[in-house]
Amino acid sequence: MKGDEAAFPRPPQSRPFVFLFRTFILRRIREEKLRALATVLGVALGIAVVLAVRMANQSSVRSFETALQMVAGKTSLEIVGPGSGMREERLLELDWLGRFGQISPVIEGEARASFPSGEREWLKILGVDILRDETFRDYRLVRFADRQEPPAPRKFLELLSDPGAIVLTQKLARRHNLDPGSGLVLDIGDRREALTVRGLLLDRGPARALNGTFALMDIAAAQWLLGRLGRIDRVDLRLKPEISIDRAEAAIGARLPEGLTVQRPSRRGRQVEKMLEAFHFNLTALSHIALLVGLFLIYNTVSLSVITRRREVGILRAVGGSRRQVAGLFLAEAGLLAALGCALGVLLGGWLARGALRLTGSTLDRLYIRSAAEPVSLGPEHLVLAFAVGIPLALLAALVPALEASRVAPTEAVSGADRIESRFRLSWRQRWLPPILSTLAVGFACLDSVDGVPLFGYAACLAIVFAVAFLVPVVLHFSGRAGSRLTGRWTGVEALLANANLSGSIPRTSISVAALAVSLSMVTAITIMIGSFRETVQYWVEQTLRADLFVAPATRSNVYSESTLSPEVVRLISTNPRVAAVDPFNSFNIDYRGRRALLGSGDFEVHLDRSDLLFKAPRQGRSAVRAAIGADAVVVSESFALRHGKEVGDRLELNTPLGRRAFEVAAVYYDYSSDQGVVVLDRSTFRKYYGDRPPRSLAVYLEEGLDPERVRAEILAALPPESRVFVHTNASLKTEVLRIFDNTFTITYALEIIAVAVAILGVATTLVTLILDRKPELALLRWAGAEQRQIRKMVIIEAGLLGAVSQGLGVMAGILLSLILVFVINVQSFGWTIQFHLPAGFLLQSSLLILLATALSGIYPAFRAGRMPPSREA
Amino acid sequence: MLRRVPGGRFGPSCGPDVELRRPVKFRASRRSRPRLLLAAALIACLPAGAGWAQNWRQARPDYRLQFPRDHASHPEYRIEWWYYTGNLADSSSRRFGFQLTFFRVGVRARPENPSRWAVRDLFMAHLALSDLETGRFHFAERLNRAGPGWAGASTKTYRVWNESWEAGLGSDGRHRLRARDGDFGIDLELEPGRRPLLHGQAGLSQKGSREGNASHYYSLTRMPTRGRIRIDGQEFEVGGLGWMDHEFGTSFLGPEQIGWDWFALQLDNGQDLMLFQIRRSDGRLAPYSGGTLLEASGQSYALGGSDVTMEPARTWQSPHSGARYPIQWRLSLPGRKLRLTVTAAQPDQELRTPRSTQVTYWEGAVVVTGTRGADPVAGRGYLEMTGYAGRSMADVFRGGSGE
Repeated sequence: MKGDEAAFPRPPQSRPFVFLFRTFILRRIREEKLRALATVLGVALGIAVVLAVRMANQSSVRSFETALQMVAGKTSLEIVGPGSGMREERLLELDWLGRFGQISPVIEGEARASFPSGEREWLKILGVDILRDETFRDYRLVRFADRQEPPAPRKFLELLSDPGAIVLTQKLARRHNLDPGSGLVLDIGDRREALTVRGLLLDRGPARALNGTFALMDIAAAQWLLGRLGRIDRVDLRLKPEISIDRAEAAIGARLPEGLTVQRPSRRGRQVEKMLEAFHFNLTALSHIALLVGLFLIYNTVSLSVITRRREVGILRAVGGSRRQVAGLFLAEAGLLAALGCALGVLLGGWLARGALRLTGSTLDRLYIRSAAEPVSLGPEHLVLAFAVGIPLALLAALVPALEASRVAPTEAVSGADRIESRFRLSWRQRWLPPILSTLAVGFACLDSVDGVPLFGYAACLAIVFAVAFLVPVVLHFSGRAGSRLTGRWTGVEALLANANLSGSIPRTSISVAALAVSLSMVTAITIMIGSFRETVQYWVEQTLRADLFVAPATRSNVYSESTLSPEVVRLISTNPRVAAVDPFNSFNIDYRGRRALLGSGDFEVHLDRSDLLFKAPRQGRSAVRAAIGADAVVVSESFALRHGKEVGDRLELNTPLGRRAFEVAAVYYDYSSDQGVVVLDRSTFRKYYGDRPPRSLAVYLEEGLDPERVRAEILAALPPESRVFVHTNASLKTEVLRIFDNTFTITYALEIIAVAVAILGVATTLVTLILDRKPELALLRWAGAEQRQIRKMVIIEAGLLGAVSQGLGVMAGILLSLILVFVINVQSFGWTIQFHLPAGFLLQSSLLILLATALSGIYPAFRAGRMPPSREA
Repeated sequence: MLRRVPGGRFGPSCGPDVELRRPVKFRASRRSRPRLLLAAALIACLPAGAGWAQNWRQARPDYRLQFPRDHASHPEYRIEWWYYTGNLADSSSRRFGFQLTFFRVGVRARPENPSRWAVRDLFMAHLALSDLETGRFHFAERLNRAGPGWAGASTKTYRVWNESWEAGLGSDGRHRLRARDGDFGIDLELEPGRRPLLHGQAGLSQKGSREGNASHYYSLTRMPTRGRIRIDGQEFEVGGLGWMDHEFGTSFLGPEQIGWDWFALQLDNGQDLMLFQIRRSDGRLAPYSGGTLLEASGQSYALGGSDVTMEPARTWQSPHSGARYPIQWRLSLPGRKLRLTVTAAQPDQELRTPRSTQVTYWEGAVVVTGTRGADPVAGRGYLEMTGYAGRSMADVFRGGSGE
């Protein structure tokens, strides 16, 4: 400010800025409480949504990672097999690991516990040889709690040695009133087993993981219970303190026999983080729409503040206020509103996080990992995020109007040009920016993802959004012209006046119209994308789900579940005389180049005879699959192919128990069950490399002409009573798939609705301002004979018109955005092709709804306008 | 009266000092009660399911020990151990003592769980090395279930192992011992030496009045040994004499024993002597004490209580456990005209085994001097003393868990 002080005399206060701020801004805010409140609320909602989504995302990754760390204990490295563990004899090949430290083989599984209260919880079961494992993890049993040491390993072993023995956490036991000696019913795969609680773990070490849903068993009992006789899931290694982990990792990696890999336990955490990256990134991007709209609101408010006070600004400048002071005042207004908004947003965000977690949780459970029950708590990191992002962005948003205010010449006030310029002029921004931004959007849309994250896709979206924003005044201008022709002929005087008012205040209204149009365009785009996706999935389900019945373990909760069907169930179903053919599907999670993928096997013969896949390549997919039978060939899903850049004819290397082997990609098929990618082998090839594994599900084909419902009932009746099996008919599975699909997008809609609500808030505040600004005009109208009712009607029509223009623009831009979503962002983040589909009916409905909502938002301004007393003074 | 010394985690404390017994005369008995006690301690904390005895075979008088067959494992019996001790020296006469023991303790004869990890037996092992020049004592323990083959004892040929520690019979008839923990270990070959000395009645060592309450027990008392040992990363070529005990059985001892003292001595006149006494909680010696003497001629004599007196002469208090051990003994076998003084080759040879057997005991190399009639005799051997520290043997027998 120093330079300006030389040129202009100082205002008569010792602290001029504070004084000016108080009189110029605060007083105004007090007068316009409602507008200020709406702005603060808008920013708060934006910040809250961003925070809530961030916290929900963090919870899922963090709960997995903390659980991982807590269970890993002192494990420095782990030896893993080529997916789904390894055969236990392989341990004998690992004798030499003793030179690096101690090893402990581990079985890890999940089971759903049913408690006497009728409640159910998932338990993570760790099966270990306690004789070795006690030095890896800190177990303290309640029984031995009086001693500040873990129980002696042999005593612990005695506790665990009975095949039905399980040790739970004290936390869980308290929740469900269990004691040592209590029975516990577990559902594992398709079986129900009764166990006995032999001990309780104090809340430390692995017992702290997963809110106490951790259970410890003897390795033998866990193998038997989880149906993994002969296998272990991994070998934990605790290095001697003098050996560096990097050196050991390299040395062990070089010496490990074929098929085994050494890694740090954190790799599983990173794998999950990577897996969820796209999902989280897209949620984060969505959450920013609300913030963006909130910032529009700031821009809007400050603009209006500037516009309505040009005269005062002029006077201020005339009495010696510097340009900087003027800009500073408006920026301070933005800063104040933003700070209040951020503070409120932080509080609101913590509260919304729970809802966001619930909404994303079911998707995560279905598609990725068991999610956290509790969101992470609000930490300093979130406060920093809210204020450090919210306030600077708000200041940036306010910069343009603030600078504009600083350019008001002192003479303007004097000459009486104290009103907003109402005449529309096509500025260079409006003329050039939309085409430039559109070109940029097209360019961005053609660029590749950045490490699986569609950064450029979002950049393209942003370009379109700004293009729309700059296009708004032009559209308002032409729609106003068109409107004047229409209203003149067919509608009442109120509509005519409303249209005229809007045409006359384009610079004022365009900002809120832009905000609303932008958020509506996003809603439209997302609606189109989801609609297209749903159509595609529906078509895919119709085409590829051909079996009459689908059998899966009742505990199979998601595509990554490792629950299996017991041999008895498989035998009973395959030998049923009404069953013509069975295609057992087997799958487990593998690590392919640091990413999780699903390795599956099915009976290609049965599949080709009776079912169908939709092939992306080659054209003759069926014959390619037939040729793959008995060969070292795989069929991969589209998402796998895209993620790892594989095409038909390429070779991909899989880690098998027999060592690394190359397989040819025989075909790429469309699949929407997993965005991490699926690699499918024919049963015979699978057996050759991976051995016999129990299937995870069965596709059952019935003899011609049988009623699947009846056979389903017969099959269920024939199964042993303790079996826990889901048998879906074709129709019920299709319904289930779509139900899951719809569930997945609940959060998307929720985020959108918030953004639209914020935008409509913007429209309402704009209208209020317009009305205040037009006080004299309205008074004149009243004086000229307009009734209160007519004034109200006029204002409501204005609001409706704003809504109509916004929605019109929104739909057009939305269609463009949806093209980017469908063809760029989805492909890059999830790797699947979606057939574009325009849900016209839905768009029409939502347009009417928006019109109604904006018209309703005009009610309060309308009443304020109606209350104006008639006056002659214009 | 002998009292336990406090300091162990499991035993109730009874007083700070050890009051030594007057020499007590053995009662005449033909029964032999060797180190099976230590093994008995091993099983005490395992679930004592009702009727376990039916699942395990009892030692019977009609069983004839045959070699090398019976060096191998007898998994149908509940307890089995292989015990090697010996005195060694390198070319510069630097002296060492070693102990390598493998225990197998049955838990469930037929586990219902088909998993390979189901615990049928627990395998334990102790390794100790006395560096008699520096006075340092190194020891380590192992505890494993069989699992995928981490520990075991084969039945066809003699081989017993626990992780990388193993003992077995080579095709040349020699016993091969290999064990290493960190920077100390042994790698030895032991010739069988003299024919196996069968204890009790032809190797059947009666434990109680009931039939079947017995074990099969024999020793190889004088095994020419060579090989290498390693201490603090330094290797020594050594030679000397070893001693092996092998015992298996199912039924166990009464509740009143708190410990025992056991001697394995090789004299320079060709006599080998195994002696032991069991101390009871009431301060008296159990009626099951005695030993076996093997003459240079190959003739062996079972010794009863009246044949031997054992008198503690000097004690040493362990700075680790606080236990006070008699590290010098005066032995007298009047019938054999033997008067011997047995002195620990170094005081600190105490093993503390919190993981595997959960007992603290003293087992170490000893030096023997004395007379046979008018002739001086000398020798070396091993001494084991249990029940002086830590968990009371009586507790172990009572309920087992020490809880």
